[in-house]
Amino acid sequence: MENINSRLKFYCDTDRCIECFACVVSCQNAHELPVGVARRKVVTLNDGVEGKETSVSIACMHCSDAPCSQVCPVDCFYIREDGVVLHDKNKCIGCGYCLYACPFGAPQFPRDGVFGAKGAMDKCTMCAGGPLETNSEKERHTYGQNRIAEGKVPACAAMCATNALMIGTSEKVSELYRTRVLARGQSKEASNSYIWNLAYGKQGRKGLTQ
Amino acid sequence: MKKYLVLLSSVFLSVSSLYAVSTGTYDDPLYGTAMLNAISYYPAFGEVFTFLQREWFWKGFLIALFLVPVAGGIHYRMIGPKVFSHDGKKIFAFSVLMRVMHNLAAISFLVIVPTGFIMAFGDFFGGGTFVRIAKNLHGLATPVFAITVLPMIIAWIRDMFPNSDDIKWMMIVGGYLSKEKRPVPAGKFNAGQKGWFWIAMPGGIVMILTGALMFFLNKDLSSIATFLGMSQIDVLRVSAIVHNILGMVVATFFMVHVYMAAIAIKGAIHSMITGYKEEEEVAILHSSWYKQLKEEGKV
Repeated sequence: MENINSRLKFYCDTDRCIECFACVVSCQNAHELPVGVARRKVVTLNDGVEGKETSVSIACMHCSDAPCSQVCPVDCFYIREDGVVLHDKNKCIGCGYCLYACPFGAPQFPRDGVFGAKGAMDKCTMCAGGPLETNSEKERHTYGQNRIAEGKVPACAAMCATNALMIGTSEKVSELYRTRVLARGQSKEASNSYIWNLAYGKQGRKGLTQ
Repeated sequence: MKKYLVLLSSVFLSVSSLYAVSTGTYDDPLYGTAMLNAISYYPAFGEVFTFLQREWFWKGFLIALFLVPVAGGIHYRMIGPKVFSHDGKKIFAFSVLMRVMHNLAAISFLVIVPTGFIMAFGDFFGGGTFVRIAKNLHGLATPVFAITVLPMIIAWIRDMFPNSDDIKWMMIVGGYLSKEKRPVPAGKFNAGQKGWFWIAMPGGIVMILTGALMFFLNKDLSSIATFLGMSQIDVLRVSAIVHNILGMVVATFFMVHVYMAAIAIKGAIHSMITGYKEEEEVAILHSSWYKQLKEEGKV
């Protein structure tokens, strides 16, 4: 890792997220996830509260100092050069410590073990598969699609209808987000975009519903 | 009859707690808005757990693993075991019911403690099937231990409260530091056994509860979380911290208990098989109890 800004990152633009759950569905479909496992979730805060409602699509954030990899008792995590945090499901014992260390609730635990014991942990791979042979049938079955290896954007971000969910190197994502914020006129320096404030600003939203 | 009623009801109480599980809702209590709201409280327990698990827990378990075998080895070489006559009269100490309960707990501990260590040093074993089996056995052996907790507490708690003998016992470390056979001040249970009781029984209940929370981590535990005034993820983090630290203490005391019963006092283990202790052993190691039995004319 030469430059921390060259690591791949997700970012969800909460001003654009419309809580359509397309990212969740596309993820579950693309990787054929079992029922009860949601690698990506859409969470809405202040649901129904006028002017305060915010939705965000959340999954593994692929942290640079990934706490999950620090606590794993069997050391099953590894971080790729491009910053994607992956884990070895054959090593994982499903203890749950990664979930306790994770601030975002990314690790999921399907109950397929003896007497409903937790099976190997499952989490967002940024559509980069796992440690098995790239694009092999085994990798697809265990970790889901490996779209990164094919040069494709992860399924969730590819599906996002409002382009709220961004993915790329930290540099690119922050550049894109900065452009958006400037265009919206949320910056003091930039000239205001009249339509944006009418549609999405707190005052505008209130005006429209009254 | 009354004894069996108490046993039956305590078994029922222990087992019924396993059914306190309900199905998930749309807004998941673990992964939903609760998780998002808990992000700002991450430094409280999340960061602490991450730090402890990364830096300290494996060191603690390493000390717990070697402390008793090393100290026991030195004690055995320097002072040696206590040997009492097995030809004399025998004193009845433990009923059939309590022997069954104790030995069920003993078998479950022989599974729970080693598998716990295997998980704590999971990277040493390389993870995978072996450690996964250890994890599942760790959970499966717990209900066996759980059914024995209440009967053992009910049977022995009266003899377990500290008294003046215990201070004297601790001053001479139970007489285990000398080779001489002088009467040691102790009732039916000495201060060491009392300490083990208070760690294994109330501590065992805490271990069962925190372990169960972690076993059912993605079930709806919101009633417990609300009761404790925390988010579910923080309840799990606290459980993991408590389970690890208390686990080290319980494992250490367990190994001391095994060393004492099986190695340091020759043949002491038979009292938990036949129910009878050697008269000489009682007279020396439990002198207050021996005096009391003599006054009652039971010897």
